[in-house]
Amino acid sequence: MKRILIVDDSFYMRTMLKNMLTDAGYEVVGEAPNGQTALELAKETTPDLITLDVILPDNTGLDVLKGIKADQPDMKVIIVSAVGQEVIVNEAMEYGAKAYIVKPFSEEKVLEVVSQVLSEEAK
Amino acid sequence: MKSREQEYKEIFIAEALEYYDALNRHISTLEKQPDDERTLAEVFRLLHNLKANSKAIGYLHISDVSHKLETAFSLVRSKELSFSDEVVTVLFDGIDLLGELISAIDKDEEKEPDPVLLRNLDIIVENLSESTIELAKVQKYSSSKNLSLSELVYIQIKKLDHLMNLVGELMIDRDRILSLSKELGSNELKAVSSHLYRITEDLQYSVMDARLVNIGSLFNKFPRIVRDIATAEKKEVDLTLSGQDIQIDRNILQIMTDSLLHLVRNAVTHGLELPAERERKGKPRAGKLRMSAQSDRENVLIELTDDGSGMDFKQIKRTAVERQLVTADVAKGLTDAEVLSFLFEPGFSTAREVTEFSGRGVGLDVVKNAIDSIGGRLTVDSEKGRGTTFTMLLPTSIAVKGALLFEVDEIFYAIPLIHTQQVVALDKDEIHEIGEVMIANLKGENVTVVYLHELLNADEADMRLGDKDRLKGQVQNIVVVAYNNRKLGLIVDKLYRQQDIVVKPMSKPLDRIDLYGGVTLLGTGKVCLVLDVPATTRYFMNRRQ
Repeated sequence: MKRILIVDDSFYMRTMLKNMLTDAGYEVVGEAPNGQTALELAKETTPDLITLDVILPDNTGLDVLKGIKADQPDMKVIIVSAVGQEVIVNEAMEYGAKAYIVKPFSEEKVLEVVSQVLSEEAK
Repeated sequence: MKSREQEYKEIFIAEALEYYDALNRHISTLEKQPDDERTLAEVFRLLHNLKANSKAIGYLHISDVSHKLETAFSLVRSKELSFSDEVVTVLFDGIDLLGELISAIDKDEEKEPDPVLLRNLDIIVENLSESTIELAKVQKYSSSKNLSLSELVYIQIKKLDHLMNLVGELMIDRDRILSLSKELGSNELKAVSSHLYRITEDLQYSVMDARLVNIGSLFNKFPRIVRDIATAEKKEVDLTLSGQDIQIDRNILQIMTDSLLHLVRNAVTHGLELPAERERKGKPRAGKLRMSAQSDRENVLIELTDDGSGMDFKQIKRTAVERQLVTADVAKGLTDAEVLSFLFEPGFSTAREVTEFSGRGVGLDVVKNAIDSIGGRLTVDSEKGRGTTFTMLLPTSIAVKGALLFEVDEIFYAIPLIHTQQVVALDKDEIHEIGEVMIANLKGENVTVVYLHELLNADEADMRLGDKDRLKGQVQNIVVVAYNNRKLGLIVDKLYRQQDIVVKPMSKPLDRIDLYGGVTLLGTGKVCLVLDVPATTRYFMNRRQ
């Protein structure tokens, strides 16, 4: 079972994502509400994939992305952002994010992107 | 059962109201320090989440207003909009409006945003700085504004413990009243007491429900722990978790924490082999460790399985003989389950190496005692070369237990259902005297049976546990209990019903009699002793030696 870590500061968003992913047979190994916890859980749980919100209370999602990549360069990260944050998303892709999802997202879209990224061979 | 939509809605509202409170706090700070970059960023984040969440759940008014406010604050942030009095008023109004819209959803009311306010927001957002004069006075509703508090509260577990105890007391009185109403034959009292019964039951489950936490909150700590132990032991371990959503009483989970940690350490240190050794045996290099939880209404089942070397039955037998727990002759004839039960003897350990993580000497008896203390059951199953499984059957709640009521020598007893395997009625002729004990064949399995009347009441000198003549009557009611990988049949005088009971601990100095786990009061007002299955089993084992 593929293991996923969810990073989002909204409990509502985490619950939705978690239900969508769990229903589809993924294992959600952790939920981080802020950047600090995200970095700790990424190390601790070494998931197959991380969904990362770009706006977090303590750091920006970009700093978290850099932190994760510095520690685990092959980690697959999907950026979750809202409309109007294209600049951040583009930057995130340069830092090695695999894909992005725009809020509000549909279940189909999330599962499509997640399964696509997970099926890519690690380079 | 709540639907997922209902649950989403509740979470959305609770979180949105938190955001609303935080926004109010921050905007007051900003009024005094408009350049506070951190507060601005925080306001921006809160509005951003509110916008995204409300859009996702379909409350478009809220996402629309959040969006306008977000834009306004981003203009403040980029200094394109000054934080003037007029602007502040509009922003305050906007945040108030958010609060009202959120509360309206909570009360299932339709609420349209005030068009004047929306236009004011548009004016500042479009940065028509000259036209702030145009900002129309918005009808102030602050005088009639209600204070709204968060829908979520944090509560100390101590308070829930107290609540649970009170429910327990209430259940006892309820049963008494129900029983009295039948005795008195009053229809009115019967109607009231059956209503009281339903309410108490509802209350009991609500309090139990409030104490539940996800098992994941414990399970999810293990990937890191296992990784650390594996690294120290130079092993490769592939840990899988399942059932993290299963809910369990918080205190039970707390007591389980050390036990589970102990079992996991043992599994990695002593169970799983080194990668090279595994390869020689034709197993994958990485050992598999599976931690799972399942539940039914009454119990939660936690399993820990490894695919390591399994228990060394010969070594366990040797150690048991060395420690004089059993004679060499008897040891030869023991079943696998009986051999494994030695693992739970105090201080029993066959480990030869002391390691940082699994020191020698701390036996499985510690784990067993912890699980006994909450009325759970621990069993172990193992196959040499294939691995070991520990199974923990735990009650979902400590205070209230399902129990089987019976009578011995005109005294009422109860046995928690978690320990009972089956109830059978056998003819006296189907019970056989073998040596010092009686044996009955139950579905092809020979089970030791004991007459409780004899065990509990006979004088030590005159106790004859293997004597069929002591049995009264022809048909024998047997409650089969399981403890420590062993089965024992308890012959009782009269069997009654199953019932939820509230176990009250014995008060001093009676609390030192460990044969009884406590007492409970029956509806008739009679006292009922709760038999402690682990202690009864031990008591029996000691008598027959």
